[in-house]
Amino acid sequence: MHNIWLIAKREYLEQVRGKAFKITTVLIPAIFVAIFGVMYLAGKNSGTGKHIVVASSDAVLAHRVQQQLQADKDAQMTVDVLAPATESDRQQLTDRVDQKQLDGFLWLQTAPGQPQPTGTYESRTSGDFATVGRMTDAVTRAAMQQELTARGLSSTDIEALTKDIKIQTLQIQNGKTSSSNAMTTFWAAYMMAFLLSFTVVMYGMNVGRSVIQEKTSRIFEVMLASVKPEEMLAGKLIGVGSVGITQLAIWAVAASLFAGSALAGKLMSGEMSVHISPLQIALFVVYFVLGYILYSALFAGLAATVSTEQELQQYSPLAAVPIWLSFGMITFIVSNPNSIWSVAISMFPPCAPITMFLRMASQFPPLWQIALSVFLMVITIVLVLWVASRIYRVGILMYGKRATFPEMLRWMRYS
Amino acid sequence: MPVVELDRISKAYDQKIAVKDLSLRIDPGTMFGLLGPNGAGKTSSIRMMIGVTMPDSGTVSLFGTPFSRKSLARVGYLPEERGLYKKMKVIDQLVFMGELHGLDAVTANTRARQWSERLQIADALDKKTEELSKGMQQKIQFIATLLHDPDLIIMDEPFSGLDPVNAILLQDTLVDLKQKGKAILFSTHRMDQVEKLCDAISLVNRGTVVLSGTMRGVKSRYERNRVIIEFEGDDSFLKHEAIAESKIYAGRAELKLKDGADAQALLRAAIEKSRINKFELVEPSLEEIFIQTVGGSADA
Repeated sequence: MHNIWLIAKREYLEQVRGKAFKITTVLIPAIFVAIFGVMYLAGKNSGTGKHIVVASSDAVLAHRVQQQLQADKDAQMTVDVLAPATESDRQQLTDRVDQKQLDGFLWLQTAPGQPQPTGTYESRTSGDFATVGRMTDAVTRAAMQQELTARGLSSTDIEALTKDIKIQTLQIQNGKTSSSNAMTTFWAAYMMAFLLSFTVVMYGMNVGRSVIQEKTSRIFEVMLASVKPEEMLAGKLIGVGSVGITQLAIWAVAASLFAGSALAGKLMSGEMSVHISPLQIALFVVYFVLGYILYSALFAGLAATVSTEQELQQYSPLAAVPIWLSFGMITFIVSNPNSIWSVAISMFPPCAPITMFLRMASQFPPLWQIALSVFLMVITIVLVLWVASRIYRVGILMYGKRATFPEMLRWMRYS
Repeated sequence: MPVVELDRISKAYDQKIAVKDLSLRIDPGTMFGLLGPNGAGKTSSIRMMIGVTMPDSGTVSLFGTPFSRKSLARVGYLPEERGLYKKMKVIDQLVFMGELHGLDAVTANTRARQWSERLQIADALDKKTEELSKGMQQKIQFIATLLHDPDLIIMDEPFSGLDPVNAILLQDTLVDLKQKGKAILFSTHRMDQVEKLCDAISLVNRGTVVLSGTMRGVKSRYERNRVIIEFEGDDSFLKHEAIAESKIYAGRAELKLKDGADAQALLRAAIEKSRINKFELVEPSLEEIFIQTVGGSADA
């Protein structure tokens, strides 16, 4: 035990005093703010500032659509009207789009006896869903207003009828209904899932790198004369893991200081406010520790079989694939948190830390499921540790070429 | 009571036999040379001696008892492939190594400072390892090996990469430790060092001991049929019929005599022709014995 403690202490102090620790402590939150900031702004600003033309044989309809589009302040669209328009105008408009004088044009056709017009949006880009969505809304509403006017309703009545209806979200938890902002719960859990995927893998790889450094600098040769390989591995996992927890604690303290500040009050009110429950924090720590041990044991074992960091990089898909898989299922998990697939993937140990938090983004999973996923992770960790420590024990004294899989199997039988 | 006793140990990795039925014994207060060509099984034997690997068969005893990890507190090991933490301060590193060997931090620190004074490297203690030259790093490792005052000191190529001044400094330190009753095993290719320092040797080839005993005992098995001669004047006596092989330098010759040849007859012939400053009848050097025993069968 004493040796494990000494090794953990050495590893911890070296990393915490190192430059990389200081840089990542500052840089990662900065990257986070940047990523979420960009995501937020991109969501808000996509398809803004476009210059389009609404062309129709029906001038009234065209003007109504223009009015609707311009009413959307976020979109900042410049909307011209060409009405009544003919087929030759259409060719002209196509040319203008082609010459980049316009971003696109909306061609509306009305047929007698049909209350809804048919619309075609022609532009140089094909995937501008935000603009198309805005136009669909605008045209639908304009057509409805037109029809209602035709049926003799006053413009005030029409205004009142076609206004957006605000839907309040309430969440039922343990038989109690509480008003909740769906967005805040989502963002909080999503951010935690993101942070977990980031830190678990970062520190897992960190252990792998540290094993390779000790291997290439031949430190094992010296150390093994007084320490068992298992003690070295355990000390390293504890040391690097403590570095991770230290870094997370620094971020947590910084975040709570920020949350208490006046600036945060302004920035994070309403939709952007974030609520994290103490249970979520506790689970975050549990899943961080479990995920970290799982990945770091895996990488420590693999690192012992190679001689350079480049070779270790070839194994990085082992960590990357579960993360892609988890985040690839994000929409599915968030909209169906209790479907069999969502539950299954949140039980699958390599994906459990991330997907469990993605489920929390939508609905807090039953406690027995959390307990089961933790249990499955612990079992997997025991297995991985057993295999990794056996490979590690032999691998750290083998130099030269990368070990093949059959070689690793043989190593497990060595005493 | 021997400090180390290996009794017919064997170790195989897959198809390759690293060590086969190897036995040796090292007594307190002796310096023991473990010799052999590359890949002969020296490092494999040492690793079994300190429990890094376990023999497939045979037994390892340290300090008169079957191997247990407890004994390692009395062993200091300097491996051939040396490693230090590059980014760590030298003194921190020495204290860490000392603590791993069971010293408390204060004692480790005091001893590290004493040793570094003695080995003239005290000014390096506050530097990071990566700032040191290779020779300096080697001295630091040397200290790390001795910090906990081990009774068995195992050193793999301890003087490689050192300049002559430092090599002698470390040699003297080892001789001093030997006189204090420590057992020292050292493994090297440098036969001149072994000849000078070791009391007993084992020559290992292809995993087995091919020659062993005290230095005197080993050498006395070979005939004294080498002559070193220093002379002035006519060198025609170097064509004498007793001579089998000769290396001739300016005023000096190293000769190997034919089996059963009379060295006195050669001396008489030489005196007749020239002035003789030195005429010495010697045993073959350890290097010659090594080459003769291992011959062309070495792997590398």
